[in-house]
Amino acid sequence: MEGFGNSALFFHKQSALLNSHTQYTEMVRLQPDPFLNELTNMFERTTEKGSVWVTLKHSSDKSKVKINKMKTAGEKIEYKCLVRATDGKKTISTMVGQKDHSRFQSSYATILKTRMTALKKRERKDRRKTADSDKKQEPKKPSSAAKPSN
Amino acid sequence: MVYVASWDDFLEKSLLLFRSQPDQTRYSTKYRHCDGKLVLKVTDDKECIKFKTDQAQDARKMEKLNNIFFTLMANGPQADISEVGVKEQIEAQPAKKGRGRKQ
Repeated sequence: MEGFGNSALFFHKQSALLNSHTQYTEMVRLQPDPFLNELTNMFERTTEKGSVWVTLKHSSDKSKVKINKMKTAGEKIEYKCLVRATDGKKTISTMVGQKDHSRFQSSYATILKTRMTALKKRERKDRRKTADSDKKQEPKKPSSAAKPSN
Repeated sequence: MVYVASWDDFLEKSLLLFRSQPDQTRYSTKYRHCDGKLVLKVTDDKECIKFKTDQAQDARKMEKLNNIFFTLMANGPQADISEVGVKEQIEAQPAKKGRGRKQ
């Protein structure tokens, strides 16, 4: 199975391999806000099974040919952050520029915080270094190697 | 696929990788709610480093890394990420790559 994102980094259409058959899913390019909405839907759809992949890449959204032409002409190439998301069936993408990156990054962080709830809360004290102020020890659970909280 | 055990190692290596190959490097996140697992990957198609976890605390660290990468990728590899709270040692390595793009 080809890993997601290994091929066709510079192309807009990507193939998503499903099972052993090759099915081509078109990459849908969205504006940042619709992208975030659709990303939320992806997380909602994959709670029972499935994965959500999100990939970030520094990109100018132009072909190599165009980039070389622009370089020789001395033009400044505008770079943005290309964000792609897929659930294995559907792929969406968006370009985030300098101006909207702060807003996008906080909305994105909110989505993740809301959706990534299946990860384990810290039960064992095997990471002494992380002194997060909001660490919540749950004493009702008698963990195997539970050290007393410091 | 190289799994890195320590978060700090992963953070440092991924920033180095990005700064050395900003055009080829990508940062990938895979989340499986059903398994409660999160896997992070940074690669430039020559080298690859991964970090996997099932801990909620790592999700918070990943958020920081997300912010760092958003800043770097939207603003350019020479972007100042000190406000994102990156370690000083990483800042101490200014990008020595030629600035051909910006000329």
